Amino acid sequence: MNVKYMLPIALFVPALALAQGKPSDPQIAHIVVTANQIDIDAGKLAKSHSKNKEVQAFAQQMITDHSAVNKQAGALAKKLGVKPEDNDTSKALKKGANDNVANLKKLKGAPFDEAYVEHEVVYHQQVLDAIDKVLIPSAQNQELKELIVKVRPAIATHLEHAKHLQAGLGKK
Amino acid sequence: MKFVPERLEVAAGDRITWVNRDFVPHSVTAKDHGIESGDLAEGKKFTYLARQRGEIAYICRLHPVMRGVVVVK
Repeated sequence: MNVKYMLPIALFVPALALAQGKPSDPQIAHIVVTANQIDIDAGKLAKSHSKNKEVQAFAQQMITDHSAVNKQAGALAKKLGVKPEDNDTSKALKKGANDNVANLKKLKGAPFDEAYVEHEVVYHQQVLDAIDKVLIPSAQNQELKELIVKVRPAIATHLEHAKHLQAGLGKK
Repeated sequence: MKFVPERLEVAAGDRITWVNRDFVPHSVTAKDHGIESGDLAEGKKFTYLARQRGEIAYICRLHPVMRGVVVVK
């Protein structure tokens, strides 16, 4: 584990937890879409940059699954007439994503794979924590709450997959 | 995400059908047994005829941490 890569992540985690107390439903919708889009973008970068087949497959899965979530979130927002509203948590997420992408673009080969996967581990853990501590308890609309509950197992599986991948990369 | 049930006991000759009740695609894959459902979108099904006795350990190829086992008795 390289401390150089850890720093922006470590700084980013408290930003999400502390950015706001209790977001509104339009803000939650924005956070959900932003969080998914960030992982889609990171996946696209990894898919084109990595030479490791397992990392590429994982990246493709992030693109597929998070796109599916956003499709559902978009459809629900439309159905409920909720207009996603930008907020401090979404801004903190974007800032963290930009830092991550900037960091990844400096890397190639194994160091790229390690940094991408490590960030995926931290990111999915962070999103799970946000789901449990902020998003589910704050969501007022029942369908929005149910969507987040429905998405949670995918995030947990991604976290497990990323950890498994990380352990494999460490052995090489 | 998981296979429910993760362990299934059937008799030789039984047909097993998996249904994807998730909103993301999954597969039923057991390379050792030549089982590959292909990517199953939400609501899609895959049926396998369990002919031989023994254990079939399978995964979702798309989410390899998802594992299941069919015990054919």
